[in-house]
Amino acid sequence: MIELLDPTVQPNTTLAETLAYAPRPVSLTGKRVALIENTKFKSDRLLQRIGELLKADYGAAETRMWRKHNASVPAHEEIVTEIRASSDVMVAGIGD
Amino acid sequence: MTSPLTSSRHPVADPGEAIEYCFAQGWTDGLPVVPPTLDRVEAMLAAAQLDPACEIAHIVHRDVSVTAEKVAINAVLAGCLPAYMPVVVAAVEAIGDPRWSYHGPGTSTAGAGVLIVVNGPAARELDVNAGDNLFGPGWRANLTIGRAVRLVMRNVCGSMPGFLDRGTLGHPGKLSYVIAENEAESPWTPLHVERGLQADQSAVTVMAAEAPHQFYNQLSRTAVGVLTTLADDMRISGNVMGQTQYLLVLAGEHMRTIAADGWDKARIREFVFAHTQNSHAHLKRTERMAGAILPGDETRMRPLVGSPDDILVVASGGRAGAFSAYVPGWGSARASQAVTVEIKEVRS
Repeated sequence: MIELLDPTVQPNTTLAETLAYAPRPVSLTGKRVALIENTKFKSDRLLQRIGELLKADYGAAETRMWRKHNASVPAHEEIVTEIRASSDVMVAGIGD
Repeated sequence: MTSPLTSSRHPVADPGEAIEYCFAQGWTDGLPVVPPTLDRVEAMLAAAQLDPACEIAHIVHRDVSVTAEKVAINAVLAGCLPAYMPVVVAAVEAIGDPRWSYHGPGTSTAGAGVLIVVNGPAARELDVNAGDNLFGPGWRANLTIGRAVRLVMRNVCGSMPGFLDRGTLGHPGKLSYVIAENEAESPWTPLHVERGLQADQSAVTVMAAEAPHQFYNQLSRTAVGVLTTLADDMRISGNVMGQTQYLLVLAGEHMRTIAADGWDKARIREFVFAHTQNSHAHLKRTERMAGAILPGDETRMRPLVGSPDDILVVASGGRAGAFSAYVPGWGSARASQAVTVEIKEVRS
């Protein structure tokens, strides 16, 4: 009999089990929506359209767009702080 | 005082079963691995004089701490000799550097490999190939050091192909992508010295990279001739609009031709930078740049890279054959940059 050492850090945990979502608002009516643009081609246009739909169809009060440094990094602290102070919900995503 | 090894243990009957067990656990890249037994892992750690609990890298975006113990286990899996461990450790440190920015190259659809250039005395002592069949096969150090780094990415950092590693195509270098610079025959300043280290130090330079592109020039006896061919091949390559970094790999014949004209690496960089620019009109006609062609677009030029310093140059490859290669970096230089880390025989 021989023993093998486990090369992984979380052998029994999948990523899905470690993800936690922020609580969702019951309604978007009157909410301030932050749109986080990831710099990919036309992502600003896509988010602009999403923002328009959230206002027209779901009653969001306002939308404002923020821009990450690039698509491969998390939103930087400066805009996270600003979004936290000025928005109720945010829309972030990645698209190619 | 040495910390105890904390990884969980998996009993198996014999080495044959161990190899199949590792496949079944999802610990391998598709090739058989060396069973990571306690004695092998301890030999790996001892070779680099590392405490198992030592943190080699912290992958910020994934909040993963990569310890020496996990690096050692994966280096065993990959088939490394214990003497390779300091090189693997330096490369893992490099991919944890914020400038390399793990999350992009570790997950992207654009399918980056981890290109590792080894410089200095360690490259020669460990027989890291810098000559014939540069990109493989044939040399244990080249094929196992990069494999160990990739297994760390898979098993520790979560870059599982088809899950977090979503490379659309990937490339063979994602198995292992390690070369050395041919410092013994090169007329030029070694890469690690250009990047701030001393010639008698050893180092890895790690770049998120696409596959190598070979180009031919079997006619020229001049630096301008060879590099004109290179630039013409390279001008439309990689993420043309992304302005990535590039690695130029100049093999024996081309190296001697260019050096005979008295060109150094800086001059090579300047020439290639100047001759790999594309007109906005061409980029628009070929659907790489958005928008209609405007007056002046035929002569308005966009550089392939942000600056000459984004072109890394090494002398590597076989002595015979009028071929060299360029390697486009992944994504863009804004998203990930090559990182050079000293290989330390003893880590403090």
